Amino acid sequence: MNSGIRFDGVSVAYGGTTVLDHLDLTVEPGEVMALLGPSGSGKTTALRAVAGFVRPASGRVFIGGQDVTALPPYKRGIGMVVQQYALFPHLRVDANVAFGLKAQKAPKAEIPARVAEALEMTGMAAYARRYPRELSGGQQQRVAIARALAIRPRVLLLDEPLSALDARLRSGMLAELARLHRELPDVSILYVTHDQVEALTLADRIAVMDKARLQDCGTPQDLYRRPRTEFTASFVGNANLLPVTVAADGVLFEGAELKVPAADATPGSTATLCVRPHLVGLGDGPNALRGRVTEVQWRGSTHRLYVEVGGHRVKADVRELRETPALGTEVTLHFAPQDAVLLGAGVADG
Amino acid sequence: MLVHSRTGRWTAWALFAVLFVPLFALPLLVIVAASFSTHWSGAFPSGPTTAHYTAAVRGESLQALTTSLVTAVTASLVALTVGTWAALASAAMGRRGRRILDALFMLPVAVPSVVVGLAVLVAFSQPPVLLNGTRWIVILAHTVLVTAFAHQSVSAAVRRLDPMYEQAAAGLGARPSYVLLRVRLPLLLPSLNAAAGLCFALSMGELSATMMLYPPDWLPLPVLIFTATDRGSLFTGSALAVILMAATLLALLAVSRIRTRASFR
Amino acid sequence: MASASPGAVTVAAPAAPEARAPRSLPTWVWALPPVAVLALVFLYPLALVVQESLAPGAYAGVLASESFRDALVTTVWLAVASTAGCLVLGFALALVIAFVPFPGGRAVAKFIDVFLSFPSFLVTLALLFLYGTVGMANGVWTDVTGDATGPFRFLTTPWGVLLAEITYFTPFVMRPLLAAFSQLETAQLEVASSLGARPIRIIRQVILPEALPALAAGGSLVLVMCLNEFGIVLFTGAKGVTTLPMLVYSKAILESDYAAACVVAVVNIALSVGLYVLYRGVSRRAGA
Repeated sequence: MNSGIRFDGVSVAYGGTTVLDHLDLTVEPGEVMALLGPSGSGKTTALRAVAGFVRPASGRVFIGGQDVTALPPYKRGIGMVVQQYALFPHLRVDANVAFGLKAQKAPKAEIPARVAEALEMTGMAAYARRYPRELSGGQQQRVAIARALAIRPRVLLLDEPLSALDARLRSGMLAELARLHRELPDVSILYVTHDQVEALTLADRIAVMDKARLQDCGTPQDLYRRPRTEFTASFVGNANLLPVTVAADGVLFEGAELKVPAADATPGSTATLCVRPHLVGLGDGPNALRGRVTEVQWRGSTHRLYVEVGGHRVKADVRELRETPALGTEVTLHFAPQDAVLLGAGVADG
Repeated sequence: MLVHSRTGRWTAWALFAVLFVPLFALPLLVIVAASFSTHWSGAFPSGPTTAHYTAAVRGESLQALTTSLVTAVTASLVALTVGTWAALASAAMGRRGRRILDALFMLPVAVPSVVVGLAVLVAFSQPPVLLNGTRWIVILAHTVLVTAFAHQSVSAAVRRLDPMYEQAAAGLGARPSYVLLRVRLPLLLPSLNAAAGLCFALSMGELSATMMLYPPDWLPLPVLIFTATDRGSLFTGSALAVILMAATLLALLAVSRIRTRASFR
Repeated sequence: MASASPGAVTVAAPAAPEARAPRSLPTWVWALPPVAVLALVFLYPLALVVQESLAPGAYAGVLASESFRDALVTTVWLAVASTAGCLVLGFALALVIAFVPFPGGRAVAKFIDVFLSFPSFLVTLALLFLYGTVGMANGVWTDVTGDATGPFRFLTTPWGVLLAEITYFTPFVMRPLLAAFSQLETAQLEVASSLGARPIRIIRQVILPEALPALAAGGSLVLVMCLNEFGIVLFTGAKGVTTLPMLVYSKAILESDYAAACVVAVVNIALSVGLYVLYRGVSRRAGA
């Protein structure tokens, strides 16, 4: 079985508006790729181009090495799960799962066993004779996944599959999806989400989308630790983005010289420094920043401090404090040089 | 709630009752009452009898009822088929095609029924197709009249149908014909039932075109009610009218029962 | 669709921005069978009516005749007056059902739906018992006053037709109104009355603007249906009331003057189809 997905310069336009702009992306066989981005970023359009529900204005889509751009959805061998489940309300659970097999004229004798297998895999075997309306949201989602898996697709397309579930169910289903993927090592999964936690937990690689374009692509750790754009930095995890000027041996921020790795940056040019709030410490240390506390939020195990440093708000997540600093007091923050990333793209003040 | 004072509310309700009861409730009650009486000269009907009904379930009247039922069922089924087909085809077409098709199928609603009758009479009293004097010309006219309503309600339902179901089915490898038979039509079933009920009721009560067309051996119930009242047999007419209403109501009730059994959400 | 090359830009309507799956047949081919049926049983006959009306002298003869002009005037004023009556009555009744709820209100709404499915001539039939020469109203009058006959004789006049049409068509106004009212948020009314607005003011400033599209749609539908109404007029049996549909019937069936019937029919079609187009425009704007 050939899996894997390749976008080759895929653009999609709706009546003059480009909603997907020249996407080049490859999902390896057996890989989980998360398409992460805000709404309107083009991530769902990319998934629907793989499914065949939108036709690219230009570019080609490959599944398992085969050009499927001109193929109708029903000839593409995909499994798809959408946010609203789209279970057929007039069919029982087992008939829903059997739908794809019957539609593709699978041998009659095989169908019950494959339905049972798919329901077993998703833990829904006990509900085979129920109607979708008799199931909870989480159970409906499991049936939707079973239905997609029953046809043994080459690729599995998941479009915001967890966003209709409440937070508790979501983390359970996330673990479930990770387990399913381990059981189906050959299937490529394209996972569209706006939730960074889902992307970070589940994906082998994350493709970050914004404004119809691919912004960044890499492993979760890579994107989190070494984001390449300000958008990635702020969308994947929290970030302090500070406008700096590159100096000979580091950067200048509000007159203070900070030691950060800035190997290829041209001295004198402007750049943005990205520091994760949880890597900023309270007290003196290397790369110290002095400022006034403007807000303190208690978040259970941590305190979030907002500190104004020369007109810029710096966020610091520190271990729960016994005594919180009063508003307006002057404090010192610091971060380790290796915890900062210099982003080449211009200056964004604010 | 709009009116908060007790007297204001009662005034509104009293006004409602004063308008509603004589205008809408009374006419139907009067027909029912008249159908069980022999005289009405005074405030109330008199001479209770069920003779009109015993007369109505045999001979000419019974034949008129079966004529109406056969006409209504045939016309509804054909109209539903054509109307649904057109609604599905128009949904698949582009904006302009859809507009033209919808307008064409709406036209019989706007054209007066009498004129539809006249047109059918003119067209099928001459070769190549001679239907005048046969029952088929009545059934044909009824079909034309109710097709518009069938198309209207089915295409509204097709528009409301969430495309996610078709897409889910296509994503599972179902070709368009399979999607139509196994997903779209089953999901449209409740609306198809409702449309069938509507068509049936309209055809049962159709008088205008029928008056232009009916042959002596195919006399639907409304025509019989008219001839009865026209020669002064108001009480017989009432009994027939009650039978007409009862048959219509029964059909609507039956259809709504199917609908509740088949509505999935 | 099948011929579209992969590189072609998909131009799609904004309502359905999705490209369709390629098919083996172009979509319009599927529309041909129902259109062919419609053409055979409806469009072709209609064309014949127009053709027949063009017989020499037919238009001149009919348009000059007094009976035609009377019928035209009667039809239009009856339709306009009935529509106005339906709008006022329907608005008032729907207002009470929706905003001054009472037990049984749902049953009344259901009754309205059922009422719509009955033929129109039943109303005339009922009115014969209520206001006919030997009907209920006259019967009460003679019982009370001792007169030989009662004063209610309007049934065979246009007023009788007007009463019947208002009775029969009012539910057609009420249904879209009730639907529109159910969309109206009660919170709006509550806020308005908490700000001190009296019911009349709320109706004028909050409810009426919301109801306007439904009123327009329902009103124009009723206008078209009144122009086309035949059963009510036929059952009245009034020789004095002739409307265009009635004239079509009497010319064709009673006088066998098909050319004249076709001329009247064409005028009637022009009138009602023109109005129906207007109605569709209005109701589309109203989102109905």
